[in-house]
Amino acid sequence: MKNAALIGNPNTGKTSLFNKLTSSYEYVGNWSGVTVEKKVGELRDNSGLLTDLPGIYSLRPLSKDEAVAAHYLMEESPSLLINIVDASQLERNLQLTLQLVDYGKPVVIGLNMTDVAKARGIEVYSDVLADELGVPVIPLIARTGAGSRELLEKVRELEPPSDGMAAGHLFYGAAIEEAVDRISRELGAASFPKDTRASLRWIALQILENNPAVMDALPHGLNDSLSLICASCSSRLEAEGVSQSIPEYMKHIRTERINRICRKAMDRSHQKPHSLTERIDSVVTHPLFGLPLFAAFMFLMFQITFDWVGNPLSDLLDSFISGPLNNWISDGLSAIHASAFTSALILDGIAGGVGGVLVFVPQIFLLFLMISFIEDSGYMARITLLTDKWMEKIGLSGKSIIPFIIGFGCNVPAIMAARSIEQPKERTLTMLLVPLMSCSARLPVYALFAGIFFESHQALIVLSLYLLGIVSAMLAAKLFSSVLFNGSSSLFVIELPPYRMPQMAALFRNTWEKGKGFLRKAGTIIMGGSVVIWLLTFCGPSGINVDMNDSFLAWIGGLVAPLLSPIGFGTWQAGASLITGFMAKEVVVSTMNIIYHAPGDLLGQQIAHAFTPLQGLSFMVFVLLYTPCLATVGVIRKESASWKWTLFSVGYCLILAYLVSFIFYQGARLLGFS
Amino acid sequence: MNQERIALDQLRPGNSARIFQMDLVAPLLKSRLSDLGVEEGTAIKIKSRIPFGGPITLEAAGQLIGIRQSDAARIEVFLS
Repeated sequence: MKNAALIGNPNTGKTSLFNKLTSSYEYVGNWSGVTVEKKVGELRDNSGLLTDLPGIYSLRPLSKDEAVAAHYLMEESPSLLINIVDASQLERNLQLTLQLVDYGKPVVIGLNMTDVAKARGIEVYSDVLADELGVPVIPLIARTGAGSRELLEKVRELEPPSDGMAAGHLFYGAAIEEAVDRISRELGAASFPKDTRASLRWIALQILENNPAVMDALPHGLNDSLSLICASCSSRLEAEGVSQSIPEYMKHIRTERINRICRKAMDRSHQKPHSLTERIDSVVTHPLFGLPLFAAFMFLMFQITFDWVGNPLSDLLDSFISGPLNNWISDGLSAIHASAFTSALILDGIAGGVGGVLVFVPQIFLLFLMISFIEDSGYMARITLLTDKWMEKIGLSGKSIIPFIIGFGCNVPAIMAARSIEQPKERTLTMLLVPLMSCSARLPVYALFAGIFFESHQALIVLSLYLLGIVSAMLAAKLFSSVLFNGSSSLFVIELPPYRMPQMAALFRNTWEKGKGFLRKAGTIIMGGSVVIWLLTFCGPSGINVDMNDSFLAWIGGLVAPLLSPIGFGTWQAGASLITGFMAKEVVVSTMNIIYHAPGDLLGQQIAHAFTPLQGLSFMVFVLLYTPCLATVGVIRKESASWKWTLFSVGYCLILAYLVSFIFYQGARLLGFS
Repeated sequence: MNQERIALDQLRPGNSARIFQMDLVAPLLKSRLSDLGVEEGTAIKIKSRIPFGGPITLEAAGQLIGIRQSDAARIEVFLS
């Protein structure tokens, strides 16, 4: 059974290759930091497992997601490494390759983007490269899958190197090699590592490079003797006239070796510039048009999601669910002579609760499709450029915009995407603010209320809510960064990948990967929640089948209702919807579907009786800003590893939601609106 | 050789230069630039400047990268 690991630089098509090599679906993106957790898939020929690791430039991590790869190599024991290398960026990619060949496990190189390299006039001779490095090299085009079968075959027949060392391993010079031997002896004497993971040579090299992810895994008793060895190595280098630090010197040795390899293995005499990318960039990062174009793209995204495509599709789905589907269920129930209780539970509880949320599938999938397009095309990296100056002013970096945009789809992956932010302060702050980005689960609430009260201005109202979320996040960022964090320096540097036309298949797969979480929620938490909510409306302190106003749900909602009345909706129905909405924000709509259900009467008419337009708006504002959903709170806890920040995020959102709704509602009333 | 040494942020789009020294660059940023193949001696070409004092984009080691103006000011280059 093979246990392979896939390692490579960011933006080299690693995740696409993972999809081609394994029979499971994965998430593809085109900027640094898409793979925020390692993912495991079954190899297509069933010969073993493949682990996809986050993209790294070097084994020495600078950000949280980069540390995942070094930790993996220290703590697990892959039987071989697949190193994906971008043929159009050979020099930079080989830095990592030279660090991997010392690991002590077989390495196979997938030389990707050979088509891109060829189009740019760069010729890479894979056989020469293989000879120079002493490891097999398979040319690939991961996007189309060309070469992935050959790679799988090579993986199957690969044998571990007999002496535990690849033929192409690099000689770092007498000073470093002596230190490697001494460190290896120390490690051997301490019998570390206990099993056959990494080679002693590789661990020794990582210690000399001062790799924190490797140092942390060492037995504590070794620290003193190891730092002595490093110090004597460093003075020996100095005596030899080297002015660099050990890691710098080691990188320099690798660079020299890479230059020698590339002179033989690569011909770039016919190299052409990135002409298409430059032409697109001259427009989208234009001094005058750049920002307006970004705003126009965002507006277009909303128009397609709502007015142009999403809402018409949603209306069709709604008329199907509330019409024919409801009739079929009710016919089916009477055909099997279901009891009145069962019929009510299924029709009013499950069909009402789940159906009310399912009608928003078109909008949610469209939004995910467009976010996937922005990711895969390479435009996301340009958005970070355009916004960096503004983000810096409020204590963030341009990279924070990536989690924010993903957050419009779903806050959970957005908080994980914050891992690629190098600066810890900016990462924590970004995680705290992501919940203010209006995720697609909040859409059903807006669509329901805006559809009832502001039918002709629906898109405008929804867009304003998104903007309100963004503005709140900006103000909160400014406040938190100046009050909660002391002035640590900010960091921004981003690689701008060449533009690529996203492939339809990858786009749809990506959209499905993100959107299926919503469908799964509909089948689990929303369905379960709907049953519980319906039962709470069916039972009350005085028994079962009570009038809804005497039910348990009314009692629970009534507890918070007085608190909510200053912000415009002090009814038990609103209170109960908001409390149950903590499970998932769509549940607000499910609950309303159940609460306001009356035979022959549409939900819209019921809500129009219960809320004035102003109260409806205030309710939408509150839903936008209040406590992140259960899943988001869970992921904040996991990612921040701090209950303090987790509770803080719940607390500040609640206070912010209440304040904004209060000011909005009371302010509008003073101005004479109702 | 008569080469002019100036700060990277003084360059205009289209200018080519070679990095002379980056001792004043913050260590974390310097490591990240080094990962991308941008070091002392690397040839660079300025591509564009984002308005309102935003980042500068440059081509270096065969790729496009963006850095802040304030950081670019700490990188000294030979104009070529």
